Amino acid sequence: MIRLPAAALAAVLFVVPVLTATVPAVAVLALIGLLLGAVGIATLWRWPVTSAACVFLTDYAAALWLADAPVSVAVAVGFGLSLLLLLESVELARCMRHATVDAGVARSLVTRWSGFGAATLVATFSAMALAFALAALVPYAAAPFVAATGALGAVLALAATVLRPRL
Amino acid sequence: MTARPTPLCLSLLTVAAWALSLAVLSARAELFVAALPLVLVLAALALRPSIPDYALTHEVSTDWVFEGDTVTVTVAVAGRSAVPLMEVIEPLPYGSELASGRNRAVMALRPGQTASFRYEVRWTGRGMHDLGAVVVRGRDRWGIRAWERRHVDRTSVRVYPRIAPLRSLPRPFHTQASVGDYTSPALGEGIEPGNIRQFTPGDRIRQVNWRASLRLGSLYVTQRHRERNADVVLMLDTLTEVGVAPETTLDLGVRAAASLATAYLARKDRVGLILYGGLMDWVRPGSGRTQYERLAGTLLRADVVFTYVAKDLAVVPPRVLSPHALVIAVTPLLDQRFTTAALDLAARGFDLIVLVVSPVDVTRGMLAGSETDDLACRLWALERRARLDGLRRHGLAVLEWNPAEPLEPALAGLERRRPRLAAAR
Repeated sequence: MIRLPAAALAAVLFVVPVLTATVPAVAVLALIGLLLGAVGIATLWRWPVTSAACVFLTDYAAALWLADAPVSVAVAVGFGLSLLLLLESVELARCMRHATVDAGVARSLVTRWSGFGAATLVATFSAMALAFALAALVPYAAAPFVAATGALGAVLALAATVLRPRL
Repeated sequence: MTARPTPLCLSLLTVAAWALSLAVLSARAELFVAALPLVLVLAALALRPSIPDYALTHEVSTDWVFEGDTVTVTVAVAGRSAVPLMEVIEPLPYGSELASGRNRAVMALRPGQTASFRYEVRWTGRGMHDLGAVVVRGRDRWGIRAWERRHVDRTSVRVYPRIAPLRSLPRPFHTQASVGDYTSPALGEGIEPGNIRQFTPGDRIRQVNWRASLRLGSLYVTQRHRERNADVVLMLDTLTEVGVAPETTLDLGVRAAASLATAYLARKDRVGLILYGGLMDWVRPGSGRTQYERLAGTLLRADVVFTYVAKDLAVVPPRVLSPHALVIAVTPLLDQRFTTAALDLAARGFDLIVLVVSPVDVTRGMLAGSETDDLACRLWALERRARLDGLRRHGLAVLEWNPAEPLEPALAGLERRRPRLAAAR
């Protein structure tokens, strides 16, 4: 049953870039992502789902770049949450395969996901407000370097957290 | 116990890094925003993990079954603290299969909540099996950290060999002193009428045959035969076997021995057992329910132990192999050492029946059934028939049983002579 939400999330990830820029190249890339996602959901392998997530992201970036549309935070939050929940739901499907699933699991998942969605939305808007405030302090020419350094710092910090040895 | 990051973390990290890289390259804030949920979840790894507290109980419906029967296993988990997601697995022991339900469960518990799951395990082969090694794999709220714990609450389940009901059984030539179902030639207390003789002082009035007394003009009494039991010793060949478990010649022999033991015990006979193989083991003849459990316990341990050493029945105590016992040797007759032992018993005047579990039919069942296989099996069957005829000429009562057919018709077709007559030939 958990594969159904995963498939729905993959469909959302397919639709968002296609609606953002109605260009054949975007649709083709989205289709590749969808195929990888379908393989991942069907076989419950991690690598096709991770690859699908990366392809969807690339497609979304391409669509945004091609459309040159104004910033839409709500859609971006929805896209990010869909990516997270797609990866999460495939992992859960792996865990639940050939298992008796207690009724409390579904209830707990729905509560957790909706709570996290709301929390992410609040965090995003707070972060955006903070970013607008800080943007005034950063010179325009230095902005790309600040962004790149910030992104690299965030990735390294996350990698260190994930990969640190545990006793 | 340490909580470790799951492979999902690496997936999330990859996607988050890719999103941030694309955001920098494309200079679009949406991609930073899209990466935020992933980054928030990964940032949770920096927090101190809390291992959930819970209590696990494991119950098994019964501690003994017959082959092919099922055992219901119930695993219950009571959460003392919140358990976001927990995977409970009980690996199935060797030789068992899932009859219904699942031996894995996924549950999420609130504090004080209890969840349970049950499943049925079927054992196809006899033996002593252990249940109760449960592995619990817990995950945190987002499945990015996992920990594992093993609970061992061992419960042994004895799987006894399947029993076929037997009504007609080979009758022993000798009876024993205790009361049983066989009419003894000896006269005494009983219900089977024997000769009529003249009344002598000491005879009971109720023994008087009034009809004969009136006709002959003096008192006559009816003598009666005693009902006695017998000693039956089952000798199981554990020297070698053919076939695939749980349908090897030894497994089939064990089932035949268990069926014979049950049937003879039901007739109030005393039944003993000898496992004749690499390791000799025996059970002294006895009767009753306890004796059945003793025999079944020994039978479920019966296994082939390879040895070059020729075993001698001389090591078996006389109390186990009494001279007046009916010995039923259950064997595929594949090892010459067992044939020698059977001939030795026959030569010593034992009341012996050799029940041969046909290895040809067992082997034929394993093969693909090609023309060559069929020819080889037929040649082997001919060779064995000649060998069995040779044993019959030595005076052995040999009975060949095709395991695909019930045991009872095979036993009913047995023709026997007194060992004394056989030895004279």
